[in-house]
Amino acid sequence: MALETIFTFAIVGSIVWGGLIYFLYKAISFEKNKKDNE
Amino acid sequence: MEQKEFFTSRWGLILATLGIAVGTGNIWRFSRIVAQNGGGSFLIPWVLFLLLWSVPLIIAEMAIGKYARLGPTGAFAKVAGKKFGWMGAFITFVSTAIMFYYSVVTGWCFRYFFSAISGDLFNTTSHLEYWETFSSSSWPMLFHFSAIAVGVFVVYHGIVHGVEKANKILVPTLIAILLVLLIRALTLPNAFEGIKYFFTPKMEYLLDIKVWLNALTQNAWDTGAGWGLILTYAVYAKRKEDISINAALVGFGNNSISLIAGIIIFSTVFSLSSVDAMARITESGPANTGLTFIFLPVLFSKLSESNLLNIFFASSFFLALAFAAISSLISMIELTTRTVIDFGISRKKAVFMVGFTGLIMGIPSALSMKFFVNQDWVWGVGLILSGAFIAFAIIKFGVDKFRQEIINGYGSDIKIGKWYNSLIKYVIPIEATVLLVWWLVSSVSWDPDWWNPLHAENVGTCLLQWGVVLSLLIIFNKTIVNKILQEE
Repeated sequence: MALETIFTFAIVGSIVWGGLIYFLYKAISFEKNKKDNE
Repeated sequence: MEQKEFFTSRWGLILATLGIAVGTGNIWRFSRIVAQNGGGSFLIPWVLFLLLWSVPLIIAEMAIGKYARLGPTGAFAKVAGKKFGWMGAFITFVSTAIMFYYSVVTGWCFRYFFSAISGDLFNTTSHLEYWETFSSSSWPMLFHFSAIAVGVFVVYHGIVHGVEKANKILVPTLIAILLVLLIRALTLPNAFEGIKYFFTPKMEYLLDIKVWLNALTQNAWDTGAGWGLILTYAVYAKRKEDISINAALVGFGNNSISLIAGIIIFSTVFSLSSVDAMARITESGPANTGLTFIFLPVLFSKLSESNLLNIFFASSFFLALAFAAISSLISMIELTTRTVIDFGISRKKAVFMVGFTGLIMGIPSALSMKFFVNQDWVWGVGLILSGAFIAFAIIKFGVDKFRQEIINGYGSDIKIGKWYNSLIKYVIPIEATVLLVWWLVSSVSWDPDWWNPLHAENVGTCLLQWGVVLSLLIIFNKTIVNKILQEE
């Protein structure tokens, strides 16, 4: 596979799916903290 | 009017908002636009505009709704000032006008799901003829009625027992179906060729301004940012609810689903198409239905030797499409219903008024493809104005004050930095202006009679319909705003 294909997949995938996973992790952490504090 | 109903949890709010964003555009429009704009070349600006258009506007809508606790018209009067309530009313009108024909699209998805599950879809030799026979009959009207009925049923039951409950079923099921289809698509012979095309950029396309503008348009239409729908759901967010992380989850979640849908479509088409795969994907067909309702059914019939398996995958695909459509339609009905509620009318009465109006106003689009195309053009482009109006409202309120007091106010899990001010003050207004001018100038070259308002897709018809609606809303601005604020 061409280098530019791998590069595009890595950039697009890491921003879109990486962003989703990152914010999901953040949301779960904050929710857990809020519950613990309650 | 006291706010009595709230989403029960953060996840309920996120799933419902994701239900707005994920629509038929993620599944059928996205793949077609990617193919028409050089595959991987399109994905780079598409990701960029997720960050420069969609996420900032989703944050803005969530913040305005949570702060104002009113539908778009009242919210604009509160945030931008009483003189600008007509802008919120225009956003409401645009999304309502879209609801009138989007219920027809939802009805098509219902019909194709029933055709697929009954096996009827595979009893035809010509899928083009099958589509034309259906679309020129009175069946689309009946399916439009059923889509409105489902939407009204959900909204009638309120936010917790209607909207939240429905989306807690629809959105996870939609994602699960797409994941099953993704596994099947990836295991097809030659699927890799489709993925290669999907992620391979071509430099000549990257330097083409049209590709960038199409990427912006796709983000504007696809994420639901700037429609006023997210603003409406945020009215029911609890005070302790965060804005920024929730908004980011909706934007990134929506585009993640688009990527999955793109991989499914490209893998399937490259694997099973005996003719030129690219030509098939880029063919838009009547009202851009070519790929979904004409070509994909052909491919599903070739998926395996087992007719039962083909029926399973085809019906799963159209069920996912129907779920994506109905979850968005519910939010459009809720937006209009919320606006009627703001005038002091009860939810039950309001939802029947909206449902009945939707039923009647959707009939022309159900019966005439030309009318459908005209409405899709006029109000689709109108969404760009809606996005610009939201940025304007925040600028009038004071961008820094809005960021510090509302976005970063009570309940926020993270604090948004000053970069947000520049996005709202400069980047979004510039994007909206460039996009609007480009669309209108391009349409002049498509139609020599660009001024003629009787043509389906040109500048004339946009200016006439926008002009009439805007004039009426500006004339009656004071009456509308006073009534809403008095009821509050």
